[in-house]
Amino acid sequence: MKNEKTTVVFDDDIVRKFLIVTILWGVVGMLAGVLIASQLAFWKMNFNIPWTSFGRLRPLHTNAAIFAFVGNMMFAGIYYSTQRLCKTRLASDFLSRVHFWGWQFIIVCAAISLPLGLTRGKEYAELIWPINIMVATIWVVFGVNFFWTLAIRREKTLYVALWFYIATILVIAMLYIVNHLQIPTSLLHGYPIFGGVQDALVQWWYGHNAVAFFLTTPILGIMYYFMPKAAERPVYSYRLSIVHFWSLVFIYIWAGPHHLLNTALPPWLQSLGMIFSLMLWAPSWGGMLNGLLTLRGAWDKLRTDPVIKFFVAGITFYGMATFEGPLLAIKSVNALSHYTDWTIGHVHSGTLGWNGFMAAGMIYWLVPRLWNTKLYSIKLADFHFWIGMIGILFYVASMWVSGITQGLMLNAVSSDGVLKNPNFLDTVNSILPMMHLRLLGGLLYLAGFILLAYNILRTIRMGKAVNGTIEVLEEEGHGAEAGFGFWKIFLNPPVMYSLLIIIFTMMFGVGPDTLKFFALVMLIFTLIAGYLHMELSGSSWGEWYDRLLNHAMPFTVLTFLAAAIGGSIQIIPTLIMHNKSHIEGYRQIPYTPLELAGRDIYIREGCYNCHSQMIRPFVSELMRYGAYSKIGESIYDHPFQWGSKRTGPDLHRVGSKYPNSWHFKHMENPRSVSVGSNMPNYGWLIEDKTDLRALESKLKVMIQLGVPYPKRTMEEINQEAMAQGKLISDNLQKEGIIVEPDREMVAIIAYLQQLGKSEKVDQSVKE
Amino acid sequence: MSEQLPQNSPQQNEDPLRPHSFDGIQEYDKRLPNWWLWTLYLAVIYAFAYWFWFHWPSVGGIVDQGVEAEQELNRIQMAALASGGAEMTDDQLWSMSQEGASVAAGKVTFMANCAACHGPELKGGIGVNLVDTTWIHGGKPTQVVQTISNGVLEKGMPQWGKVLGKKRILEVAAFVLSHHTKDEIK
Repeated sequence: MKNEKTTVVFDDDIVRKFLIVTILWGVVGMLAGVLIASQLAFWKMNFNIPWTSFGRLRPLHTNAAIFAFVGNMMFAGIYYSTQRLCKTRLASDFLSRVHFWGWQFIIVCAAISLPLGLTRGKEYAELIWPINIMVATIWVVFGVNFFWTLAIRREKTLYVALWFYIATILVIAMLYIVNHLQIPTSLLHGYPIFGGVQDALVQWWYGHNAVAFFLTTPILGIMYYFMPKAAERPVYSYRLSIVHFWSLVFIYIWAGPHHLLNTALPPWLQSLGMIFSLMLWAPSWGGMLNGLLTLRGAWDKLRTDPVIKFFVAGITFYGMATFEGPLLAIKSVNALSHYTDWTIGHVHSGTLGWNGFMAAGMIYWLVPRLWNTKLYSIKLADFHFWIGMIGILFYVASMWVSGITQGLMLNAVSSDGVLKNPNFLDTVNSILPMMHLRLLGGLLYLAGFILLAYNILRTIRMGKAVNGTIEVLEEEGHGAEAGFGFWKIFLNPPVMYSLLIIIFTMMFGVGPDTLKFFALVMLIFTLIAGYLHMELSGSSWGEWYDRLLNHAMPFTVLTFLAAAIGGSIQIIPTLIMHNKSHIEGYRQIPYTPLELAGRDIYIREGCYNCHSQMIRPFVSELMRYGAYSKIGESIYDHPFQWGSKRTGPDLHRVGSKYPNSWHFKHMENPRSVSVGSNMPNYGWLIEDKTDLRALESKLKVMIQLGVPYPKRTMEEINQEAMAQGKLISDNLQKEGIIVEPDREMVAIIAYLQQLGKSEKVDQSVKE
Repeated sequence: MSEQLPQNSPQQNEDPLRPHSFDGIQEYDKRLPNWWLWTLYLAVIYAFAYWFWFHWPSVGGIVDQGVEAEQELNRIQMAALASGGAEMTDDQLWSMSQEGASVAAGKVTFMANCAACHGPELKGGIGVNLVDTTWIHGGKPTQVVQTISNGVLEKGMPQWGKVLGKKRILEVAAFVLSHHTKDEIK
């Protein structure tokens, strides 16, 4: 056996498959983006059809861009590089194919179900429960295939790209499962098990870290493989890789609550969200530095090689977005930026700039190699680069102007103590030109990507698919060396010092005063001791880490622990402390059956994409919307509907503000009562009948979730709903509007008129 | 940026490469830039200080934003009320409704906030007709101001006083009254 050479043939067929669908779904996702951008600028683009209205298509756009476009791109990059970094073919051709076809099937299911209004009503987690199960299953298939490949690797040491892939697979599994816990009420519908503030926290722990571990870490791993390959230069700094990897994985998880600043979220969580976001700046920039500085000595390629152009611009956008992120996470900045287009611009400098350009660079580098030919046209790729770049700049700059303008206008209070812009639509109309500019930016970017598709198509037709091979010595053997026992993972200075630092920091954070002092002293002592220990022990810490890199399982365990700490410390106390009895003086009144049905229509139409239900404690919001939202006022909301964007005004206190007839006319044609509104018409709500039969199982699940409903028979539920519907229908009739009590319009009016109603509870009385 | 570094510059030769190579990829082991380290350190120190200040009850303690905002709102509204001057009489309001500037200003406010329900022609819709001769809640100029300010909640007329402020309320009232003759207002 010794010194006997064998040839390993890589499974590049699966990479080609994933690459082609990346381009396909990329076009689809961006097209959806352009369409919804046009709907915001020109309401008629909603076409008065349910499945093309903004509220249903916006989730389609985000899901397609994240999970279909970036997802497939990530799988292509991970499968290509992992085989080469492990010097082995992927563990199982079968699992690879299951992964591929399973993922495409999920995407098709999503593309059908979202326009139909089948949604969970949680951003980036809209897909309904049967699809959730498929996603989790396919993700496990991916994970098994990946870790199995690691287990049979011929290259003992794990390269930094693989660290990021490991973190991606583990953390996404954790986030996805927790945020999708739900109880089905039917085959196509379920309620999340968390409600109100708990659901808000879990949702943004997930939402923020989907950005971190779906859109960032896998792409960093891809950068660590493809950037040095394309630049033909060594990576800038190994130790920077170590420091920024571990700090990124540890810190990112804590930052989720910055999506809920100045809301009813408990202050301690808001503070954690803000300070961890600030601490995240440097770790993020560590990745940017390692990417950009790898180009030292090869900057000339920036002029000639489109791949390098895309990578450098992509990494620069990453740096920009990860500077802007901490900035927006400062509470006072967030007071202005939150709910506005600034956030939209921020996200798109990440997705269009970082994800889109890294994908383009990777595709332009990979395709000629996978089809053994040259790129059809470098000129065309250059053109794609510039048109894409201008597109992003238009997009991001217009959203900055739009967000800051609208934020300032909405918050402005005049000297005589009233709002300067009492009419919300005045602020919408003043940012209309920016919406047009954003549409132009999106169109340019899409055009650039279509050029890529054309260029790649021509390249593929010129070439012939080939699979990469390497010669390996059999003696290199399979698998990792033995002898890194369970305790060896933990019982070593670097891990122990880290653990002590975390423990003392926690004690400082939440302990009583006396313990705080002790903890702070101990923390400083540990830091000094750790530093001295590291200096004195020469290279032994580095050697320990090098040894750890030969052991995939221990490495994986430590990565998981680092990523799991933050979420546990935020979520577990929230589940215990901020449960349904923690209400701060105000308790939500549970919905009647008809209101609950109306709420599900509200969620189905995706109203939360444009309307928040969270009045922040600012003078201008109190003037505009009414009393600020308290933590107890949404405890029965599964899912929570606090929202993240105000394309239209907040709705938390809209109940009883307008007559029923106003709501009817407004939803039939918003412009009949709100001149200049860009909201779609919801005419079908007048025709369609409310699904009252579904209420029995829905109410049953609500009871299971802790909502204090009396036990009612189907008959009673029906009667109650019809009686309430009749009241509204009769009231409308007085205004000359004829609508049957069993129509969806009546249900959603019932829901809207109840919003913001809560009972004051004497806090001195023990719950 | 586009200038080429000489491949054999002394600085580059000094950089030690790590011994291992992964699929042809090698790694330097450069020291972490100081400015980068200090960005991290300062952020961590700030985080501790922030927590210390806001979440150590005996030191600073976080302010209740909600209570603070409510007090501020109260203060602003009291000040606005105090500076509002004396109440206007029916006659003063009527003369205001005959004066172009006030009526024009009132029209702008009306179209933006009231036309949705009362119609751009003031002939009603969701809200009542304002140009007929029926006054459901009183037709005296002071009564009209009252109705606009305090609303008629049970009929879906919002309280505009806190939203629009006194000045704009008077202008809107003047605009509405300008559609009537003096005989019609009682």
